[in-house]
Amino acid sequence: MLDGVRVLSVLIFGLLMTTVAHAGDLTVSVRDSAGRPVADAVATLYPASGVPRGPIRFPWPLRMSQQNIEFDPEVLIVPVGGVVSFPNLDRVRHQVYSFSRGNRFELPLYSRGETPTRTFTTPGVAALGCNIHDTMLAWIKVVDTPWAAKTDAAGNLVLRGAPAGAATLKVWHPRLAGRGNEVSQAVTITAAASSRTVTGTFNARAAA
Amino acid sequence: MTALSALLRRLTTFRRLRTRLTVLYMGLFGLTLILTAVAVVSAVSGSARRMVRDELGASGEVYAQIWASRSAQLKQGAAVLAQDYGFREAVATGDEATVRSALDNLRARQGVDGALILGVDGYASATGVTPDDAALDSLFNGLDSGQVDAGVIKIGGQTYQAVAAPIMAPVLIGWVVFTDRLDAGQMRNLERLSAIPLSAQVLSRGGAGWIGAADGATRHPVLADTPQGRSMVLARPLPSFDAQAPAALVLTYPLTRAMKPYETLFLWLGIIAVIGLAVIMAGTWMLSRDLTRPITALDEAVHRVQQGDYVEAVVASDDEIGRLAASFNAMIGDLRDREHRLTHMALHDQETGLPNRLALERLAGSQEGLWVILVGIDRFEVVRNAIGYDAMARLITAVGQRLTVLSDGGSISRVSAAVLGLVVVARDEDAALRIAERLCESAHRPFEVAGAPVDIALTAGVACRGGAGANLASPVDRAAAALAQARRLRRVVAGFDEAAYGDPSGNLSLISELMAALDNGEFSLAYQPKYDFRAERINGVEALARWTHPRRGFVPPDLFVAMAEETGHIRPLTEWVVRQAILDQKVMAAAGHEVMVSVNISGRLLSDDSFADFALEQIAASGARLCFEITETAVMDDPERALAIIERLSAAGVFVSLDDYGSGLSSLAYLKRIQADELKIDKSFVMGLDQSARDALLVKSTIDLAHSLGLKVTAEGVETPTALALLRGMGCDMAQGYLIGKPKPLDALIERLNGPAVEDQVVAA
Repeated sequence: MLDGVRVLSVLIFGLLMTTVAHAGDLTVSVRDSAGRPVADAVATLYPASGVPRGPIRFPWPLRMSQQNIEFDPEVLIVPVGGVVSFPNLDRVRHQVYSFSRGNRFELPLYSRGETPTRTFTTPGVAALGCNIHDTMLAWIKVVDTPWAAKTDAAGNLVLRGAPAGAATLKVWHPRLAGRGNEVSQAVTITAAASSRTVTGTFNARAAA
Repeated sequence: MTALSALLRRLTTFRRLRTRLTVLYMGLFGLTLILTAVAVVSAVSGSARRMVRDELGASGEVYAQIWASRSAQLKQGAAVLAQDYGFREAVATGDEATVRSALDNLRARQGVDGALILGVDGYASATGVTPDDAALDSLFNGLDSGQVDAGVIKIGGQTYQAVAAPIMAPVLIGWVVFTDRLDAGQMRNLERLSAIPLSAQVLSRGGAGWIGAADGATRHPVLADTPQGRSMVLARPLPSFDAQAPAALVLTYPLTRAMKPYETLFLWLGIIAVIGLAVIMAGTWMLSRDLTRPITALDEAVHRVQQGDYVEAVVASDDEIGRLAASFNAMIGDLRDREHRLTHMALHDQETGLPNRLALERLAGSQEGLWVILVGIDRFEVVRNAIGYDAMARLITAVGQRLTVLSDGGSISRVSAAVLGLVVVARDEDAALRIAERLCESAHRPFEVAGAPVDIALTAGVACRGGAGANLASPVDRAAAALAQARRLRRVVAGFDEAAYGDPSGNLSLISELMAALDNGEFSLAYQPKYDFRAERINGVEALARWTHPRRGFVPPDLFVAMAEETGHIRPLTEWVVRQAILDQKVMAAAGHEVMVSVNISGRLLSDDSFADFALEQIAASGARLCFEITETAVMDDPERALAIIERLSAAGVFVSLDDYGSGLSSLAYLKRIQADELKIDKSFVMGLDQSARDALLVKSTIDLAHSLGLKVTAEGVETPTALALLRGMGCDMAQGYLIGKPKPLDALIERLNGPAVEDQVVAA
């Protein structure tokens, strides 16, 4: 149900972008050094012409729920200024926090049914933990571009509607080797659909 | 191998049985001791090593436990801090002051030396310790690799135990690390846990004190050489942050220390060994002394017997050695008796029991100033044949007894069958001669032999012990020579006359040289002329052999002729004379002188047919006219053969002359039988002719006798004109002598023959 909603949202968003900017789609495949697909890798595209002003909207809900002592989803892409809700679906209480630079916050203990929110204003990464449960770990990637997506289980994603021309493609993953767990590549966006495969080493420690 | 066995043999060769026994027993006991000591030492040291090994292993286990428990404790403390939310927040937000205070707080609570924060980005903040870059690097690398979270780290040369706990915020942002110094005190604590005083160290490779044995760090103790000497070492590996410098707990226990408790045991073992050896040595020495004492006594006795001292070996025991000694003593007794008998026999005459020549020589040689007197029994063989051997032996004994009395109890020796000898002390030769004379006079009184009186005469020879006489070293020999001289001179006593004795040994060599001399031309002939009264000229010569020795010079003819007669060399000598005379006669004939040459023929050759063959052959071949002068006595030995040979010669035309007539027996019987042509009157008659009327009468009668037998007469020894005149008056046929002419060489003779006859000279004189 949820997936269906997401697919539909992407579809609508893609149609919108096509109409607005007359651009081609960029399919990005992320592979590790062994050629295996990598899921939950976040790709962001920054056209050389710049990013349009105005609030960015993504088709997925800005929600980081806690269920079965786990965060869901593991990686959540949030636009700058986006308000993320943290619904507690467990019977136990959680105390979610992040010490990540620029996105430090703490949600004091809250119970089931409570849904505290938090606004993320700094582009970057917020590593989420629970002070009660050490094993809980999730990532919120705060982006300042409307062209952003994360790979599916097959390691693929599609960036739609980017304006034609030169652009910088960045790929982030909590275990990707690179400064800030991120690598960037120069790409050229054309009217026709194109694809790009990014291969990286995924054994790094996540930056806090 | 041979060298070894030779050495062994040399080592085991002893001059004394006693030493050998002692060394043998000591050696065997010593060997047993050594084997025992080896067994004890190896058992003890094996046990000690086992004990040390076990103890080291146990201590290693204990330390591993301590290490693990301490690590766990530190880790817990670090984890508590690392998980504290406030602390994590302080770390994440870079609140260093808070972080350091939190570290200090927990450091005090845990009782650790140092604590530090190490961020994944390399950030470090420490309290209590000041880690250098190298330490931080190895710490970070170790932690970052995820392999190590507790282990050994070196900070500024010091060894620390470090334990880390991760700080999750929520991802790993760093580590809390606690460090605790592995100092000497901690090691001493560990050492105290052990039952044995081992030494413990935590070492890193490349650090001071690292030993090779720790390289192959195992859980089992090994033997290794350490600065403390040979030691048992257990190197137990410890985790290390630095992969390049593995660490180990090294437990060391020197073997000398392990053996120390047994030193007293070894000392006592050594003392017991020394005492045992001494006891064995003393015991064996005493035992072998009893055993070898009789053998030593026997050995010494044998040595003394060897030196002629017949002693008995004193051995009291009645075992094998005792029996051997008894047999030895019996043998020595027999030996002594036998030697006495032999010595007695060697020094005594068996017939009479008197000392013999050897005894006399010993006596004579015993001191200076002694005179040896040898008393010979005259006509010994005649007397012995008359009275028999037994009686003769008794007679000699009787003579000896009488001489003993006369010489005041001197020892009388029987020097040879007919000679007794004694030694007297005399001032000079005259005194000795007087004594000898007195001894000889003792025989004037007849000796009683078996009740019958026997009359004998004694002659004595005297010689001094140290007197001259290089040719006769022994005084007994000189006295014997003196005895012979006395008899020749028909005296009762005589001293040794060296000049008269001459040099018989030199003559001996002369004989051997004679044959060579004939060949070498050392011989020559001299001719003495014979004057013919009727012809009034010299018509005959007597050939006389002359020997001029290259070294000795002129050798007297009497000497070498007598020698040649006695040694059988007379024949070659005579043959040479005959040949030479024939040659010389031809020379004379060539000079115009027909001269008869006379040659002296020895009596020996008159019984030699082959010589006659030779002579006749020579004469026949040369046609020479020779006269053979022979003596009457030459015919006496074998008259038949001699007369036959003379007849052969005579028949062959050889003139035969009877030489030296009147000096010998001058038997008329032989005069009758010998086919002679001439008779030569001996010079002893002729030389006294002008003084003695009797001699003149004898010569006259002999001339007449000869003439009546048809013989011509030659007078020898004519030295004065008076004698010559007398002989002419007596009707003598020929004269020979110095007045007529001395013997002279051939050329001188020919010169003489060329000159005037003797009569003219005599008249002229």
